[in-house]
Amino acid sequence: MSPKTIIRQEEWERRLHDLQVSKNDLNRLVMDYLVIEGFKSAAEEFSHEAGLAAPVDLDSIESRMNIREALQRGDVTDAITRVNDLNPEILDTNPALYFRLQQQKLIEFIRQGKIAEALEFAQEELAPRGEESPEFLAELEKTMALLAFESSPAAPPAIAELLSPAQRLKTAGEVNAAILESLSQGKDAKLVGLLKLLCWGETMLDERAEFPKLDLSAGTFTQSSAQNKQP
Amino acid sequence: MASRQTRSASIPIPANPARNIESVIAIPFSTNPATRPRLVSSGSTRAAVASSPERAITGRMAAPVSPVRTLSGGYAAALNRGPPTQSTITTMFEPRVIRATGSPGHITESPVCVPISVPHTRRTSVPRVPSVSTTSIPPSVLRSTIPLPTAQTASVAPQFPPFQRPAYLEQSSLRDLLYTDAPPLRPSNPLTSELAHHGQASWASTPPPAPYPYLRREQSPSGDTDEDSTASPSPPSTRGTPAPAPSTLLTHPVLRLPTRWNEQDRHPSLTVSSDGRELTFFGPSCIGERDSAAARANNPIPPACGIYYYEVEIVQKPGGNKGHISIGFASPEVRLSRLPGWEKHSWGYHADDGCAFDGHHKDGQTYGPTFDTGDVIGCGIDFSQNRVFYTKNGAFLGMVFDNVGKGVDIYPSIGLRQSTESIRVNFGHSPFKYAIDDHVHAQRNNVWANIQSTQIDWDLLNGKGASADDEEKTVTPKVSIPKGGALEEERMKAPVRQLVLSYLAHHGYAKTARAFQAQCDDSNSRASGSGEHAMDTDRRMSSLDAEFDLRTRIDVINSVLKGDVDTAIALTREHHPVVLEREQGLMLFKLRCRKFVELILDASDALKRVQAEQAATEEQERWDVKEREREAYEEQDGMDGLGAMDVDDPSPEELVDATVSPALSTHTSSTVTGDNTHRYSPHRSITPSLAAKEALHTAIEYGQKLEADYKTDGRPDVRSHLKRTFGVVAYADPIAAGGEVAEMAGQEARARLANELNQAILESQGKPAHPALETLYRQTAAVVVQLGLLGVGQAAFADMSKEFLDA
Repeated sequence: MSPKTIIRQEEWERRLHDLQVSKNDLNRLVMDYLVIEGFKSAAEEFSHEAGLAAPVDLDSIESRMNIREALQRGDVTDAITRVNDLNPEILDTNPALYFRLQQQKLIEFIRQGKIAEALEFAQEELAPRGEESPEFLAELEKTMALLAFESSPAAPPAIAELLSPAQRLKTAGEVNAAILESLSQGKDAKLVGLLKLLCWGETMLDERAEFPKLDLSAGTFTQSSAQNKQP
Repeated sequence: MASRQTRSASIPIPANPARNIESVIAIPFSTNPATRPRLVSSGSTRAAVASSPERAITGRMAAPVSPVRTLSGGYAAALNRGPPTQSTITTMFEPRVIRATGSPGHITESPVCVPISVPHTRRTSVPRVPSVSTTSIPPSVLRSTIPLPTAQTASVAPQFPPFQRPAYLEQSSLRDLLYTDAPPLRPSNPLTSELAHHGQASWASTPPPAPYPYLRREQSPSGDTDEDSTASPSPPSTRGTPAPAPSTLLTHPVLRLPTRWNEQDRHPSLTVSSDGRELTFFGPSCIGERDSAAARANNPIPPACGIYYYEVEIVQKPGGNKGHISIGFASPEVRLSRLPGWEKHSWGYHADDGCAFDGHHKDGQTYGPTFDTGDVIGCGIDFSQNRVFYTKNGAFLGMVFDNVGKGVDIYPSIGLRQSTESIRVNFGHSPFKYAIDDHVHAQRNNVWANIQSTQIDWDLLNGKGASADDEEKTVTPKVSIPKGGALEEERMKAPVRQLVLSYLAHHGYAKTARAFQAQCDDSNSRASGSGEHAMDTDRRMSSLDAEFDLRTRIDVINSVLKGDVDTAIALTREHHPVVLEREQGLMLFKLRCRKFVELILDASDALKRVQAEQAATEEQERWDVKEREREAYEEQDGMDGLGAMDVDDPSPEELVDATVSPALSTHTSSTVTGDNTHRYSPHRSITPSLAAKEALHTAIEYGQKLEADYKTDGRPDVRSHLKRTFGVVAYADPIAAGGEVAEMAGQEARARLANELNQAILESQGKPAHPALETLYRQTAAVVVQLGLLGVGQAAFADMSKEFLDA
């Protein structure tokens, strides 16, 4: 491997300084984050304080957040109603998402110990869908396995996980992304994309150059001297 | 002597350390040993430089329009070529324009079939100063490390070039580094050499927040160079600006795109047409398996293109299947007597059998159809995969080859073998047959999606290597959550929120910050149920803490923005006394200077009101009786006397408080409070003329005090700032005066000062001067650029401004 380019802190900082990015650009990045992540009141305040128009109707943030909250507290029926109120096409055009919601509903039945309801719901609503696609079927089988373990601690992690709050968040995240897409917004905040790009870039560049890396928590740099210790 | 200089200008030789920049810049690419030969070969390009000094002048004189070429010739002749180029450049100080000289015209002047030795002949034929321009310009150009707003670059550069940067290249995130105007003033050392910068004129008009140090630092060295260069035989050592630090890479490198076949980098059997686009085989056809005649383009392909594409029209291919036209790429060390694809580091698609040769295998691989007269063959290199693709008459033929251009610079290259064979290239001169834009777009999306599938590695982002110790993880809460789960995702949100919150706090968006904080706390407790109380309390505490800072900081900033410097000083003194003392009171000094400017502005406002009133009075004259008019004037005269006496009385320090607001509103004497009130209010409310005088006196008194207080402060910063501050006095209406004065006086200056003060306060609290979010953006952008310069093609498809900034 050819020797690495060495870029010193001073030189690097000068380059950073010379880059063109305005406060307004960054403000818009922040606004995007607030909107996508559903910080409605913050987005409102920010549009006043920074003199920036919000890219979407701020009310849509609220209904999106309500849907997310409904899912997070396990009220799937409410969530489905709300999604359909917002835009019925979202679920109509996205069978996988609809299945995910139904699955979540089944999980909630099991969580509440409503075994009879769970079985009935599974047979009437989910089984026909499981026939549609092997992927759905696998998910259905995994969910039904919950009944066998009855939330005993012996359950394998993959199955026990379905009952964890993480599963709710996952479902809520998928619904959220679908709504955002229907509003022609990205599913991830641009700020998150920026972080991903930096992770990719620093990793790539690290193979080719020594340069000051960002310490995000402090907002400063760390020299890559630690790198030298590695073989 | 002169010719030596030329050489030294282009090639970094030890005798001339100042010029070492080239090798310096080459550092990113020096990973590749094969770049060395390129430097050697570039000698030929250099020769071209010397051979066309007139061109340089053309560019200089006639920059924007081509018709002036004739004019320039005359100019050049009159001024004896070399030196004029030189001096013009010196005075105009616009290195960039020189680059533009690569306009097509210069080609016409070069003989069509130049023997390699021609440059030397040329040099001797113009013995006196032929190379001065070459010698002197590059260093100055190189040394101007001035950052350039990329937007400007894009808008200015394309005025001159022979053809615009092809549209598909607009999809490269590094498009602003890519140029088609190809002035042969410097050897076209790919990616690295032409780190020329843009004219100060253009960049100076929109200075970034604090660019002055750069500007000044840059100006003096280049000035030296220019002086030196007028004396033609001056050895390089006399312009002894120290070589820049080895790691220096200018922020705005200029990457030259291929624009024509290289007159010097071609087999003698090939001739290049005057527009540089056609290659024709003259002389006896090559016989046997070994010989052939190849040519390379004038510039290597910058990997920063992401994807580079050119098309070749087969103008004439006699002899049916025998013609071995080869189209592809070659690195500079590949012999010109070989077809691309026959030698290592060359790749070619051959007309006779449709095979693709990668330089490693004697027999090519079956690839596409054969091609013949009239066909248009497209040839593209995708640096994100280091693979090549071809098209025939607009149809895609598939990806081929691997590891193309890894570690070597590659040039578009063509090989011919038969007499009268001829091809014509399209480097973007005209629209392409193949829908290259769509191709690039699709690949761009692929690459971007791939990049965006990267997992965020917080250890990396927090400055810890991949091997970072686990105990450090206590920084982030909720350690027990299984990796990869949705809760893990949730956990990842905390640092992003912190990033946003600190950004809001930094810029003083207090209400937003509070609302954001509240919502974060809310969702935290909801998402993770109970057991988070300790953390929440901690959070709230720290948020309260932050809020406290926020309030005073916002008040301070707003005071400066409103022009109420006294309040700003008082508040800062109360809450952040360290700030005023830092750097021997530099901040306080700047605030006081601002105070003076504000006083001048007040005076100017007051004067304007007087003038407005007078105008109104004069208006009334036409209707009123003359007596009234006389009365009015008498009254005013009397007032003036009184006012002047009064103003002399109090010390400027006392005046400070009184003048700001009262002077602004003439009829609000009642709002004025404090000891000064009774002294002025009676007069002030009567006529603005008095207020105007008062304001001016106050300002001048304050100025005198300011001057007295800092008389002994010899710091250059202080001196020059003081000088510029006092410059404002000379203008009755500084804002309307425009230029530097308005810049010094206007709202922009307040914003700058407010920002500086904000940063100083934050720094005094041990916080970075820039919000982490901003540094994040800049860091990412710098990393992407650096990757592009190091040949990582994917970087070209990480278009930050498009992905993150476009609304």
